[in-house]
Amino acid sequence: MKPLSPSRRRAIGLIVLLCLAAIWQLLSMIYPAEAQPGEPMIAGWQVIFTKTLLSLSDYWQGGLGVRSVAEGASRGYAAACLTLIVNSAITLARVLGGLAIGTLLGMIGGLAVSWSSWGRRIVNLPMQFLRTLPLLAMVPLFQLWFGTNLFGQIAFTAYGVSVIVFAGTVNAVANIPAIFIDNARSLGASQSQIYRSVILPGILPGMRSTILLALGTAWSAVLGAEYLGAQSGLGYIIVYAQQFAYLDRMFLVALVILVFAAVFYTLFDRATRKLLAWAPQTSRREIAR
Amino acid sequence: MANAVQDIQIRHLSRRFTRADGQTVTALDDLSVTIKAGEFVCLVGPSGCGKTTLLQMLAGLLRQSSGEIEAQGKPVLRPGPERGVVFQKDSVFPWMRVIDNVEYGLKCRGVSKGERRERALHYLERVGLMQVAQAWPKELSGGMLKRVAIATVFANGAEILMLDEPFGALDYVTRHQLHDVLLDLWLDGEGGRRRTVIFVTHDVDEALILADRILVFHSGRMVEDLAVTLPKPRSADDLVLPELVNHRHRLLQHMGLIRPAAAKPGQ
Ligand SMILES: Nc1ncnc2c1ncn2[C@@H]1O[C@H](COP(=O)(O)OP(=O)(O)O)[C@@H](O)[C@H]1O
Ligand SMILES: [Mg+2]
Repeated sequence: MKPLSPSRRRAIGLIVLLCLAAIWQLLSMIYPAEAQPGEPMIAGWQVIFTKTLLSLSDYWQGGLGVRSVAEGASRGYAAACLTLIVNSAITLARVLGGLAIGTLLGMIGGLAVSWSSWGRRIVNLPMQFLRTLPLLAMVPLFQLWFGTNLFGQIAFTAYGVSVIVFAGTVNAVANIPAIFIDNARSLGASQSQIYRSVILPGILPGMRSTILLALGTAWSAVLGAEYLGAQSGLGYIIVYAQQFAYLDRMFLVALVILVFAAVFYTLFDRATRKLLAWAPQTSRREIAR
Repeated sequence: MANAVQDIQIRHLSRRFTRADGQTVTALDDLSVTIKAGEFVCLVGPSGCGKTTLLQMLAGLLRQSSGEIEAQGKPVLRPGPERGVVFQKDSVFPWMRVIDNVEYGLKCRGVSKGERRERALHYLERVGLMQVAQAWPKELSGGMLKRVAIATVFANGAEILMLDEPFGALDYVTRHQLHDVLLDLWLDGEGGRRRTVIFVTHDVDEALILADRILVFHSGRMVEDLAVTLPKPRSADDLVLPELVNHRHRLLQHMGLIRPAAAKPGQ
């Protein structure tokens, strides 16, 4: 199969999305069951973008010249949008903060440990344990350690991200073919020169997929923390909606998260493409012929 | 210039490996030989006879089990830029453009930007790769990558050059082109001095065309030390000259492809 042009690829992606949206709409029509009166199990788009969106204004606590429902105002799109924007911003701050700190710590730790083969041997076993430990099992512990505030949530997310990035970095260093290091040494490179000119660029492809993995983990960690204690953020809206079986609100918020995740992915992909211009594109290689 | 200090002296060199199943393999067994400065030596022998092991020890990338190696008057303990290696596998860094690969060793040793660029371009020109100086290695063919590796070690100014079956995987034409490049570069080393070349191959004809001296290995031991006196450069046509025919006969005998005359029935 010959590779598609970027515009063709975008067009195909768009068509797939539209089809998925249409299937959803179809499902909402053939399965009209309700969780409670007025709350369909599967809400069609005409509900999502009107009643559901409007209902988000319930979460608005006033300010910025838009009065809250509690203050006697009726539901409105301004309050609904502000709800989404503010809670998204809070969640994004947690995701990005945790991601940045976790990636930095994980990478520095991974590189430090990889300096010697002994370092790698020592961390290997504990690292395997830490990786299999379910992230969400640690939420209560982190809440007690750091509190249910922004700092605690970022610390928790950073922990989840750093475990993945640390393991990914150690792995990526170990996977650099020995021949490159032999070659550098016999051309006269010192240990620190090898680290800068062989190890650092050599781990980039591995780091790219590691960080993509960490992106997903960061979202899971933040949402987990928000389910279990936060009083704001997209995860908080979902948990609150669950208590009243507002399925349409949960779906809308999930959609918003999906959009953010897609934007993150695209931005990261763009940012790393230039850094990896040298790498053979095995990931894009077509298997079918 | 016959200067004993410049020679490579190998004394009672052995290397044993312990395999995963606990078995001990003697990859190189009590080798003693002196390689003179400026000599072009080919190491031939069937695969598994210890050629790569010897080369890696000469390069300082592998420690010997026993014995000594001295190069340029000093024991070989670690790799160094005075001993360049063209590896059998691709060793060109994929994350550097071709020109940066060729400059790499010079850059590591603090040679100024202008000087190292000039040297790199000079050697890229010698191997015929000027037009891909700015390309990524992934855009080159296998033969071109080999030439990048050769330009890199030559640009690095190595006095001793080791090549491990460098052309083994290449097509006939490219291989012969690279023979010419290699001999050219060997013949006019810096300061009018020839470099020392140690060239591993399992191709008998390749050894006959390139070498001043052919060392034959079998099961970790050196079984033959042949001097080839025919002047260089030699071409594939020279393979029919008596000296090379004789040498070839001996080499093939060592490889078990021709039975020794005495063993022939009825003679
Ligand atoms: N790292 C190693 N571990 C165990 N055995 C090895 C190792 N390297 C080489 N050997 C063994 O040493 C012998 C010589 O290998 P090598 O020097 O690579 O041969 P050649 O280069 O002549 O084909 C072989 O029997 C091989 O199996
Ligand atoms: Mg070999």
